[in-house]
Amino acid sequence: MRSVSRRFGETVALDGVDFEARPGEIHALLGANGAGKTTLMRILAGLDSPDAGTVEVFGQRIEHFEPGPIRALGVALVQQHFTLVPTLTASENLVLARPEGALLPPGRTAGARVRRLVEQFGLEVRDGVPASQLSVGERQRLEILRALDADAKILLLDEPTAVLTDVEAERLLGVARALADQGRALVVITHRLAEVEACDRVTVLREGIEAISDGAVGGYTRADLASAMIGTDTSGTITARTTRRTEAGPVCLRVRDVSLGRVSSLSLDIGEGEIVGIAGVDGNGQSELEAALSGRSAAESGEVSISGESIAAGDPRSRRAQGLAYIPSDRYSWGLIGPMDLSDNLELGRVLPIRPNRPARHKAARPSLDHWDVRTAGPHAKTSSLSGGNAQKLVLARELDEHPSAVLACYPTRGLDPEAADTVATRLVAAAEAGCAVLWIGAELDELLAVSDRIEVLYDGTLFGPYLPPFDRAAIGLAMAGDAADRARTATGGEPGPP
Amino acid sequence: MTDSDTRQPAPSVTPSPKSTWPPKLDGWLDAVARRATAEGILSSILVPLVSALAALVVGGVLIAIDGVNPLSVYGAILQGVFTKSRGFSYTATVATPLVLIGVGYALAYRARVFTIGGEGQYLVGAVAGTAVVTAGGVGDLPRVVLIVVGLGAAIVAGALWGGLAGVLANRFGASIVISTLMLSFIGDSLLQWAVRDGIRDPDSYNANSRPISAAALPSFFGQKTHLGFLFALVLVPIAWWLIRRHRWGFRIDARGHNPGTLNANEFSSARVTLSVLVVAGGLAGLAGMVETTGVNVRLGQEASVGYGWDAIIVALIGRLHPLGVLVAGLGMAGLTIGFESAQRQFELPSSLVSLITAFVIIFVVWGDAIAARWKESR
Amino acid sequence: MDTLFSIATVEAGIRLGLPVALAALGAIINERSGVLNLGLEGMMLSGALGGYIVNDATGSPWIGLLAGLLVGALTGGVFAGLVVTFRTSQVVTGIAFTIVAIAATTYLFQLRWDIGELPPRVERLGMWPLVALTLVCVAGVWFLFRRTTLGLTISAVGESPESADALGYNVVLIRWMATIAGGALAGLGGAVLVNGPLGLFIEEVTAGRGWVALALVVFAGWRPVPAVAGAFLFGLCDAAQLRLQGTATEVPYEVFLALPYVVTLIALVVRARRSHTPAALGDPYVRGAS
Repeated sequence: MRSVSRRFGETVALDGVDFEARPGEIHALLGANGAGKTTLMRILAGLDSPDAGTVEVFGQRIEHFEPGPIRALGVALVQQHFTLVPTLTASENLVLARPEGALLPPGRTAGARVRRLVEQFGLEVRDGVPASQLSVGERQRLEILRALDADAKILLLDEPTAVLTDVEAERLLGVARALADQGRALVVITHRLAEVEACDRVTVLREGIEAISDGAVGGYTRADLASAMIGTDTSGTITARTTRRTEAGPVCLRVRDVSLGRVSSLSLDIGEGEIVGIAGVDGNGQSELEAALSGRSAAESGEVSISGESIAAGDPRSRRAQGLAYIPSDRYSWGLIGPMDLSDNLELGRVLPIRPNRPARHKAARPSLDHWDVRTAGPHAKTSSLSGGNAQKLVLARELDEHPSAVLACYPTRGLDPEAADTVATRLVAAAEAGCAVLWIGAELDELLAVSDRIEVLYDGTLFGPYLPPFDRAAIGLAMAGDAADRARTATGGEPGPP
Repeated sequence: MTDSDTRQPAPSVTPSPKSTWPPKLDGWLDAVARRATAEGILSSILVPLVSALAALVVGGVLIAIDGVNPLSVYGAILQGVFTKSRGFSYTATVATPLVLIGVGYALAYRARVFTIGGEGQYLVGAVAGTAVVTAGGVGDLPRVVLIVVGLGAAIVAGALWGGLAGVLANRFGASIVISTLMLSFIGDSLLQWAVRDGIRDPDSYNANSRPISAAALPSFFGQKTHLGFLFALVLVPIAWWLIRRHRWGFRIDARGHNPGTLNANEFSSARVTLSVLVVAGGLAGLAGMVETTGVNVRLGQEASVGYGWDAIIVALIGRLHPLGVLVAGLGMAGLTIGFESAQRQFELPSSLVSLITAFVIIFVVWGDAIAARWKESR
Repeated sequence: MDTLFSIATVEAGIRLGLPVALAALGAIINERSGVLNLGLEGMMLSGALGGYIVNDATGSPWIGLLAGLLVGALTGGVFAGLVVTFRTSQVVTGIAFTIVAIAATTYLFQLRWDIGELPPRVERLGMWPLVALTLVCVAGVWFLFRRTTLGLTISAVGESPESADALGYNVVLIRWMATIAGGALAGLGGAVLVNGPLGLFIEEVTAGRGWVALALVVFAGWRPVPAVAGAFLFGLCDAAQLRLQGTATEVPYEVFLALPYVVTLIALVVRARRSHTPAALGDPYVRGAS
């Protein structure tokens, strides 16, 4: 690929990226969320087309970006979300992808096809059970087998280890090595440093630009890669706080041994007036943490309490009365009701048994909308008509107006333009200065560095830290990529991470 | 093999789809409920109105094919409803159960809780109410007490029948559409057993209950119209007020629009599901008892006339708004009653009125699709 | 109770179960492809009227069955045009379809035979040819889904249309074919009812059997053989309650009336958590929409 560029509206996903995959090599493509890794792979697989630049496969220049012809050239993309039919078994999925005649092969023959592939490539997959009952690792191996069954020469794996356990991830990398040794070209997208070390070459993308281009893996230290991935540039879009708390006030929000899904036995205390940032790559347990702390889902075990009072799951009005405000990661799924008007949305969580009439409701909503600078046609406007920034300000207006004692803010600036993001951050900082405990789950490290009094890194459902100001970007970056977890494991004599 | 091999088709005043079974109504009312609660003039009034007119035009063509002047038929229908002595009284009587059940459906559908169990709830309500008022030893009670107790029992029975579907949905994830459908069929079996055996009048040759004489609802206008119509008339503004001004109504609409947000910020959406099913069931149960004590003298095997199915159409054509349900219910009842006399006069097939009503619902579906396209294209 | 489980009851049960079994097979094909066919009752009824009229005209019940099959396929095609190509709501369209079919068949029937006039009885087929026909259909549907690539593709389209599309299959075409085939079987079921056990048509002759067939599909977990078994359970209950009517027994015959529905309700609760429901059932497919 030569100088490939791709824009989505005003966002530049890729800006003149060069990329090469060679037979017999594993090429790691490293980058933080939104760096452009997936866009690059989708272009290479023909699912997307570049605005500029050229793509060649085995010397043949691609003119039309369609998945079919490119697949015929031997390029196979294994995407993050699987494309197996969940009710079909392994052999049935293979037959569906490449049928042999109108009749299904008898069970034995179909099974033989799977077994032959399994033996040939050493990818263990159970046959005879629906794909939905296979572990994610098995499903992924099946996807890879399906690609190999179609004789793929170039195999693109999009974050193949994101959903795998460590043992499975390690095995997968071993398999990737074996496939490369057979002369195939492999590209592994990842944001984990440990996995890069199992590859031959590495390209690091940051915001659509190559931070490291096609380098030999051995030439870089983990610190080099981490800083290339997250950058050294500290000028975020968020105005940094000038003063930080060195000592937190009395504990306000207390999380004790909470487990839910990926999150296991997580504990955390946040003091009055403190902003604790939770850094980490998406999918390391953030959504489970959000669900458990907000009371949307009951935790499997553990307790969340505020000022000593336990918060019950599934009772949002009590949660609010106890003083925990919640800014959800997806404001349109859990924060706002689009077809209802602004005053209705402001009332959520404190709707009176008998509501005032509509003009009175609108009148009551106005001061709050003004105070939080929600720019709209008025309280009668439908919430779905708001821009992202104003919608988020509406959530803030509802959540912060009553001076809560703690705020759970999940990706509060996600999808906002810089100005709106800065406003939201400023408001949250102001709430903290007024004594509110803030738990800020974020994806952008710069943002967390700018606002937090303390940062914890969430990796694979476990917290690593604390990191205190002045923050060591490199150390936090390493922890986000799993380095701290690897070292912790080695130190406790547990199973070593991938070399 | 004889005719009795088929179960007797229910005698029905209006077309009765012998029920409905959609496991995923979610996609459906997604569109209907959103549009209905968005209160756009176009979709809420124009589409049903134009659909009704179009259906009448199609019906007119069919009548003309039959060699009769459609205008004189429609004239006779209007005459039958508005000028014949008992026309309006009969219309109000037929509209009563349609409106009572239809408002319950409307509330549930606004919350996107897709019950179609009105028929079963209507029947178990009628059975429970009748069982109470015809039980031995209650005959001495004052009439008012008897009526209140009977209606109360019917409401409770209907509410339990509806609530059962809610519990199955919340606890086990069972599709409300299928469970309410099954409960309707089971309710029908219950009625058959009750009138044949359970609460049968031992002195009667036919399978029916004892007469509910003492608990009969008072009529007014000196006609067929009974107290139940007043219930329907009172229910409409109450439901309207609940939707606009009460927290429960707010939660219903909020659940319909975004259960996730409701759940995270205001109230458990599962409990809203349960509550609308209980209320809709209670209303259907009330309708069953009102029909038994207001129109019939006894509860018999023929009690299942399909009001519970027809009310689905009434709720949809009424755009899930209580006032719309009242208008649609009266319209459907008026068409049925008016047509009855016109049909005899002009020797038309009795099924014509069903066909016209069926075309109304088809045109409403079609009109909604057109309106949606039109809105998108703007 | 002696008479309850007599051969006659079993025979009646089989006869009453056949139409439901055929309609349930049709619904399985529809739903496995992701099309929820709430018009099934209407399609059955249309097939019944078509089969009756043609049998009455030709005097041949076999041609009547063929007519039922074709009318059913036609209604299936109309339904597919609406829900697959125009992507109207499958639920509303299905309900409306059934309502129209009930009204239209009654209307056509009343146009042809005046009220009070006794519609003619038509030549009837015996039980065994119809049993054989149904067994052929069951075997066919079973073979389709267990042994052919087409059946596998239909299931894939109903489970995960995106995957099927990505593998190069034409989702719209497959759903069209499945809807027409399902309609044809439902129409055949209606024609079997009229040209088999009944020998005549009356208004709403199917009396809710199409809805029963839809419920049976859930009960059977979308598999043909259990669906047919369920249809005969339904037929037996139906026959038992007919036989018990009028005789005083300890078990009220209404128990048999309610039994199929109670069983389905229980199956619903037990199965809900590990449902075999085709994942894309009821969803129109638009490429790239998810």
